[in-house]
Amino acid sequence: MAERLNFWSTLTDPLIRQNPVTLQILGICSALAVTTTLATALTMSVSLTVVLTMAAGLVSMIRRHIPDTIRLIVQIVIVASLVIVIDQILQAYFAEISRALSVYVGLITTNCLVLGQTEAYARHHAPLPAMVDAFGNGLGYSFVLIVIGSLRELFGKGELFGAQILPLAESGGWFTPLSLMLLAPSAFFLLGLLVWTIRSFKPEQAEAREHTPPLYVEPAE
Amino acid sequence: MSRGLWNRETVALMLLAAYLPLALFWLSAGRADALGRLGLCALVVAVWHLVFMLVRAQPPSLSALITALAIAVFAPEDLGVFRLVLGISFGVVMGELVFGGWGRNVVNPATVALSFLGFGFPAFAWPDFDAPVAWAAIPAAVIGVGTGAMSAALLGGAAIVAVIAFGMGLLPEPVLLVAGLGLVLLVADPVTCAATTFGRWLNGAVYAALVLMFASNWDGAAPAQIVVAASLLSSLAAPLIDELVLAIWISQRRRRHGRT
Repeated sequence: MAERLNFWSTLTDPLIRQNPVTLQILGICSALAVTTTLATALTMSVSLTVVLTMAAGLVSMIRRHIPDTIRLIVQIVIVASLVIVIDQILQAYFAEISRALSVYVGLITTNCLVLGQTEAYARHHAPLPAMVDAFGNGLGYSFVLIVIGSLRELFGKGELFGAQILPLAESGGWFTPLSLMLLAPSAFFLLGLLVWTIRSFKPEQAEAREHTPPLYVEPAE
Repeated sequence: MSRGLWNRETVALMLLAAYLPLALFWLSAGRADALGRLGLCALVVAVWHLVFMLVRAQPPSLSALITALAIAVFAPEDLGVFRLVLGISFGVVMGELVFGGWGRNVVNPATVALSFLGFGFPAFAWPDFDAPVAWAAIPAAVIGVGTGAMSAALLGGAAIVAVIAFGMGLLPEPVLLVAGLGLVLLVADPVTCAATTFGRWLNGAVYAALVLMFASNWDGAAPAQIVVAASLLSSLAAPLIDELVLAIWISQRRRRHGRT
């Protein structure tokens, strides 16, 4: 290894600066689907982070033995086996959450975040840096899921982890649930607002203009 | 329309002039809190225009008043200040101001705000309208078309479908009245309706057809709810309609002249 990797920055970069969801817009399908409650969002984050880290480690270990032509198949087989293990564990110990997550745990296999990570990073790096980077990306994904999940559960039901936080109007409190928050569109809005917030603090993340606007000529008065 | 007298604000003023009779009828026939509601809506919309002027240097527009009027007329009743402010903020910011202000938006901010309120707080009743208020849509349409701020094609397309459906007894009268009001206040906005002439005929017809479809198949929906949903969907369809009309025009040209 020519240069020493800075583990700390490899780990923390994907949290905000290189966040896979808000910057690279990867893996948003599951991010939108499982965030109706904080519990499912958290379970999904943990599952994805575990799968991502282990898949990156395994792919990186055999990276010199994978033929280039069938590399995607090999990667998908590895990821899918890990996902099946996670899915079985969830079904065994967290049956209720597993039912709430339904098909989305299985869909981690096709999550572009996982494939992108193994394809772009793990195939070219030693196991340890690959796993650190994958873990950081998993944390970045988890960060977004937990933020959106807690906002949706808090404003959609007034609860966090199923415990009542805001007193509901129907039981004598003041809070009327925003039922829109439990519908899929609100996840789009919240994700858009989150991206907007991050990019207004970090303007370098904003994409370049596709067109140059025409020069505006003041109309003659 | 960015040169000479006809800039964006002139169009907004003409639209305002068209809506004046409607607003007066609505205020005089309305409940006691109508004026307060209009004032609150106008205040919230104006504050957001001001914020975007200060932060992004976007010139504020008189269209704020049009948005406020449309929201005040159609918003569900007894929402309370907090929910109304939340809905208006969402509609105005996400529907209009983030795109660069009135003239660059894809959907009518009032429609977005009303849909947000409708989906977010389904427990609140939609307003119903007295016949005189709904008839006031006709002078609004006449003034709008006369001053060129509203499209005659759009209104015509909607009118044809509505007349046929009403003649066949498919469109109940309360829905027809509210649909006219919605056509003038929400759909006829020159920014978010289709931009080609034939596209405008189609856009109006699509709106009327959607109202017809919801009226006959959507059980338990209030007329105002039907109208808001139809105007949201038809304004989302407007760019597609324009694209279609342009494609037809290009293929016709190619057939006649052999090239584009």
